[in-house]
Amino acid sequence: MKKYVWTTVLGCGLVIAGCSSEDAGESGAGEPVETSDSKTLTIANGTDIVTFDIHDHNTTSTEAVHVNMFNYLLTNEGEEGFQSDLAESWENVDDRTWAFELREGVKFHNGEDLTAEDVKFTLERVANDDTLLEHGNYNQISEVNVIDDYSFEIVTENPEPALLNRLSRLGSSILPKDYIEEEGWEVFLEEPVGTGPYKLQEWRKDDRLVLEANEDYFGDEPKWEEVVFRSIPEDSTRVSELLTGGVDVAVNIPPTDVERIESTEGVTAVQSPTQRVMMMVLRTDEDSVTGDPKVREAIDLAIDKQAMVDSLLEGAGTVTRTRITPGNTGANEDLYGESLYDPERAKELLAEAGYADGVELTMSAPNGRYLKDRESAELMAAMLSEVGITINLEFLEWSAFAQRYQERSFEDIFYIGYGNSMFDASLGLERLTTESAEGETDYDNEKVNELLLEAEQNMNAEERIEQFQEAQELIAEDRPQIYTFQLDAITGINDRVEFEPRLNEMFYADSITLK
Amino acid sequence: MKYFLKSLLKTIPVLFLITLIVFLLVRVTGDPVSLMLPETATAEERDSLRESLGFNEPLPVQYFTYLGNLVQGDFGDSFRYNTDALSLILERLPATLELAIASMVIAVIISVPLGILSAVKRNSFFDLFITGGAVLGKAMPNFWLGIMLILLLSVTFQVFPVSGRGTLWHLVLPALTLGTGIAAEMTRLIRSSMLEILGQDFIRTARSKGLGEAIIVNKHAFRNALIPVVTIMALQTSTLIGGTLITETVFAWPGLGQLLVQSVNLRDMAVVQAATFIIAIFVILSNLSADLIYRFLDPRIKYD
Repeated sequence: MKKYVWTTVLGCGLVIAGCSSEDAGESGAGEPVETSDSKTLTIANGTDIVTFDIHDHNTTSTEAVHVNMFNYLLTNEGEEGFQSDLAESWENVDDRTWAFELREGVKFHNGEDLTAEDVKFTLERVANDDTLLEHGNYNQISEVNVIDDYSFEIVTENPEPALLNRLSRLGSSILPKDYIEEEGWEVFLEEPVGTGPYKLQEWRKDDRLVLEANEDYFGDEPKWEEVVFRSIPEDSTRVSELLTGGVDVAVNIPPTDVERIESTEGVTAVQSPTQRVMMMVLRTDEDSVTGDPKVREAIDLAIDKQAMVDSLLEGAGTVTRTRITPGNTGANEDLYGESLYDPERAKELLAEAGYADGVELTMSAPNGRYLKDRESAELMAAMLSEVGITINLEFLEWSAFAQRYQERSFEDIFYIGYGNSMFDASLGLERLTTESAEGETDYDNEKVNELLLEAEQNMNAEERIEQFQEAQELIAEDRPQIYTFQLDAITGINDRVEFEPRLNEMFYADSITLK
Repeated sequence: MKYFLKSLLKTIPVLFLITLIVFLLVRVTGDPVSLMLPETATAEERDSLRESLGFNEPLPVQYFTYLGNLVQGDFGDSFRYNTDALSLILERLPATLELAIASMVIAVIISVPLGILSAVKRNSFFDLFITGGAVLGKAMPNFWLGIMLILLLSVTFQVFPVSGRGTLWHLVLPALTLGTGIAAEMTRLIRSSMLEILGQDFIRTARSKGLGEAIIVNKHAFRNALIPVVTIMALQTSTLIGGTLITETVFAWPGLGQLLVQSVNLRDMAVVQAATFIIAIFVILSNLSADLIYRFLDPRIKYD
């Protein structure tokens, strides 16, 4: 009997060794990577990519990988404005028409030439197919007219001042029409083909996605031979990989691990702003306690947002009085980086509003959706109780929260974080027009409504920005939303590479360079 | 054989019940649409997505459509990956089996010598140390043990890679994490089983014949003590699968466990349903094989 047991044990061991040996020779244990000049760049993400269907996801971390395989028509570089990518030039012909010239000589990974037909195919697909997750961001496009191989026009339903913002983000990578029509979507999703500096080598789901340099890339020669995106869901494991040199870049480092990284030689943690702004959203209708502007102001003044950033986020955030932060079209920078805190005045305001003896409000918050969401809500409730506002906290798991959010059935206040993938104030302030605010905040400021609706379709860029900025001033006074802070991302970086994280959280491999 | 077939037939209602429970659980615990769309999505966008995923149908209709497809071997499509759920699961199964087998091997390597030693040297320092260690091993959560092993053996001493699947080295820490709990349980079991055997008449007879202690322990006692142990090994399948959910997440091991955890988080219903169904079949089959092994090892046991 004993013999059988040991034979089985040995057999199993051999089977396992057999399974694994095909991959042998990959990064072994404990190599000192600090000195490595390997031409392989390894990035640790918290999740795997979702799909290669660029129109059927809305995940920033997936897009961060895609941008290396595909190209947009143009890129949005924030302060520097829009930069040419596949499109060489563009102009606004009239309120509803934009003309573009394509770069010539661009080839897809399968050798086919990029033409205006590919652009028409790509944009009309997402504009017309309402089952795609990105449809809502592109249904403003009514058609794409091909003029010749390298010229085309995009026609929108209504005047669309934010069209360039839409075309420089998730969902607007240009796809190969002929390849997809001949081979079908199933083949494309297995063997995606783009125009980007890197092409797909291998995708092992929930493990790693490996890209290799595209020798025929139209732009600068790719800087890396290979780019590996690893999926490591557990935060502490990601940090450990960074500390041992297993990865060059690790995303979403928890604030509590920063010190550990900083005290290790060869790695650093960098902090960079993101598009996500956390806020309390309050009911402003007359039947609510928070319908009184004085109560809303008191709530704002009672909360020390800087203390929240310092204590909960260990500094990884920026206080703000607007949701439209720098880097977005229409940002009001006067309201950014500052917050109001005056608990004494808050008590006075409450007394003036007739709540000298205190008042009770209900606040709903998600638990585990955003960094430190639960702790933030608890801290805010404690601060509010200091001035006499008793908060009944209601924590909800995200999908339950989302349901209530959608039904607009929260009581007085809810705590949420909004991103802005458009980099334009229109998306950021959309929920505050009279019509969209109904049932949620019931915010109804005639002037704000007028400004937002006009700006929505205003093709005069400068005037549009002024309209958004004025609206933000008014919103900051009215407080249908009280902003707490803009969240920072913390990224761990191996000292052998140089990398400045971007506001849009994309990982352009070629913007990460060997030192 | 008849017993075997009868047991197989008995599993059908169990599987049916499992499909119903899982189907309801993934639906009452949250709405996948709100998890797929960003906070800024409009009500129309939500409705059209819900419709395209078929969630606007009444629940019983959805369930019977699902059952009908299931009988034909169609588990539905993952909406996270846009491919059929079964092929996703089969793709991940080898990684999980590799980890499960390696953990079992580690559990056996640790528990057999320790269990025997602890029984033979009963009440000695060794015994105390081993039984104490076994309690500790059983009490340590996989999650904690995994992170500690990474910190100690990967970060501080840099002996093994931190995470991922690839070489045999990558397998060691996750297998150790998952194997420790099972080893602890098996050590205690082998110890008590050995103690029972060592006290029996035939061992006394063997001793009185003047046989050496090594032969008595290895040949006579251990062989008989193994019967409950092998059975328990087969019954550990569910512990193993439960363990892989956590261990695979900690070590970024691309197996079925990680797929299931992420699918649950995103309410990727087809994958959750298919994965639990496949796991249920595995558990049922391993319990059945435990029965059979027991019967094979101990011919005195008869089934009706």
